[in-house]
Amino acid sequence: MEEIIFIINTVLKNRGKKTKADIDESCHLRNDLGFDSLDLAELTVRIEAKFNVDIFEDGIVSTVGDIVKKIG
Amino acid sequence: MKDIFYYDITNNLTVTWADLIFDLKRVENYSNFCYQSDYYGVFKQIVLSVLLDKNITLLDPGFTQQEISRLTGNIIPDEIENISEEFELEDCKTKGDLLSLLKKNHQNWTITLFTSGTTGLPKSVGHSFSSITRFVKCSDKNKSDVWGFAYNPASMAGLQVFFQALLNGNTIIRLYGVSQNLLLKTVRESGITHISSTPSFYRLLLPNTEQFHEVRRITSGGEKFDTNTAEQLKAIFPNAKITNIYASTEAGTLLASEGNIFSIKPDLKGLIKIEDGELLVHKKLMGHTNINIDEWYHTGDIVEIISGDPLKFQFVSRRNDLINVGGYKVNPYEVEEIIREIEGVREVKVYGRKSSLLGNVVCCDIVRNNTILEEPDVRRYLNGKIQEYKIPRMITFVNEIITTRTGKIKRS
Repeated sequence: MEEIIFIINTVLKNRGKKTKADIDESCHLRNDLGFDSLDLAELTVRIEAKFNVDIFEDGIVSTVGDIVKKIG
Repeated sequence: MKDIFYYDITNNLTVTWADLIFDLKRVENYSNFCYQSDYYGVFKQIVLSVLLDKNITLLDPGFTQQEISRLTGNIIPDEIENISEEFELEDCKTKGDLLSLLKKNHQNWTITLFTSGTTGLPKSVGHSFSSITRFVKCSDKNKSDVWGFAYNPASMAGLQVFFQALLNGNTIIRLYGVSQNLLLKTVRESGITHISSTPSFYRLLLPNTEQFHEVRRITSGGEKFDTNTAEQLKAIFPNAKITNIYASTEAGTLLASEGNIFSIKPDLKGLIKIEDGELLVHKKLMGHTNINIDEWYHTGDIVEIISGDPLKFQFVSRRNDLINVGGYKVNPYEVEEIIREIEGVREVKVYGRKSSLLGNVVCCDIVRNNTILEEPDVRRYLNGKIQEYKIPRMITFVNEIITTRTGKIKRS
């Protein structure tokens, strides 16, 4: 979970946005974290580089908890 | 909806056909460069250019001043002319009057837009009224269509939708750049019957259990339409016919199909052919451009022939190296050129990394001269210099970049 939060904050920081300390599994990637399509795509690529899992491969991921489930 | 020309939920803007005519009558000056982010402003300027039968050049509002300087050779020239004397719209009172004028005033009209470019800079391509409206269908059946506008208006695809809607007197509802929540609300409440966009855009509507019965036509282009997205869309839009389009900035719309298998319309026979697995287009179908074209234009699109007679084929890949990010083409050479300006960068390779979300994500490898340069520094440098979708989203610092025998960066 810590590593996912680190990656999420990297995406936010790279985009010039504030990082967040209070990220939990219920956080919605678009609505709570303000991710757009490009941010989500960046997140996918970074997670795949780290965990070797394409989180969007078989559908759409909406929350941080969805990512945790995919990574298993 | 029949009186509404344009509706934009994001800016809470409703423009009726009467408003459009009123606004057109008040125009006193005309510039043949269109560089603005206001969709209605772009639409109005295009309509005006057709009425005046004058050229118009569309510049993507995402282009930075630097990019425009490079494309046009200068900052936008100040070529605003007074048109109050030659422009007479006194007799134009209704939508019908305006449509009649639009259909006859276009003998000299051309529209110029920019391709993503295969090497170096994007190239300009000019189209006549007939080439831009090659696939426009005008009929009584189309008169009550309501179009979801899901493209950038300065793109070839956006123009195709715009003219289809305009010449039929339809309503245009903005969907491009609308947040996901408002997007569904808009489709639900505005009576949209037709949407044309890229598979990446349609994925924004997913997953969804709601059904939209009023939508009769879904058109997709720009990228491969994966089966998973197509199946889910069929469930959401149960009454819609789903069509694939093949179009390019250079040639406009050329092919349409109901699945991934394309064939050539009888009137384009002899003007499109396949050679060495690549789709070639005859220069008769091409817009005016500064690219040197022999008799046949090589599209760079690799196809697989399904049957020879009648000819049927499907698209496999691109011959060149453009990176397709959600339907937008990124030229890696252009991005590399700008990254090379950064102090501390010795070599750089920009490439696409497969993404199930957007097709590809732009990434880059950098060989640096120092250890001070970090990823956020590169991103900061690129912000405002190139369009957002061209900026690499993951940067890796490497010791070397592999080159080919001729010293070029190895692309695959």
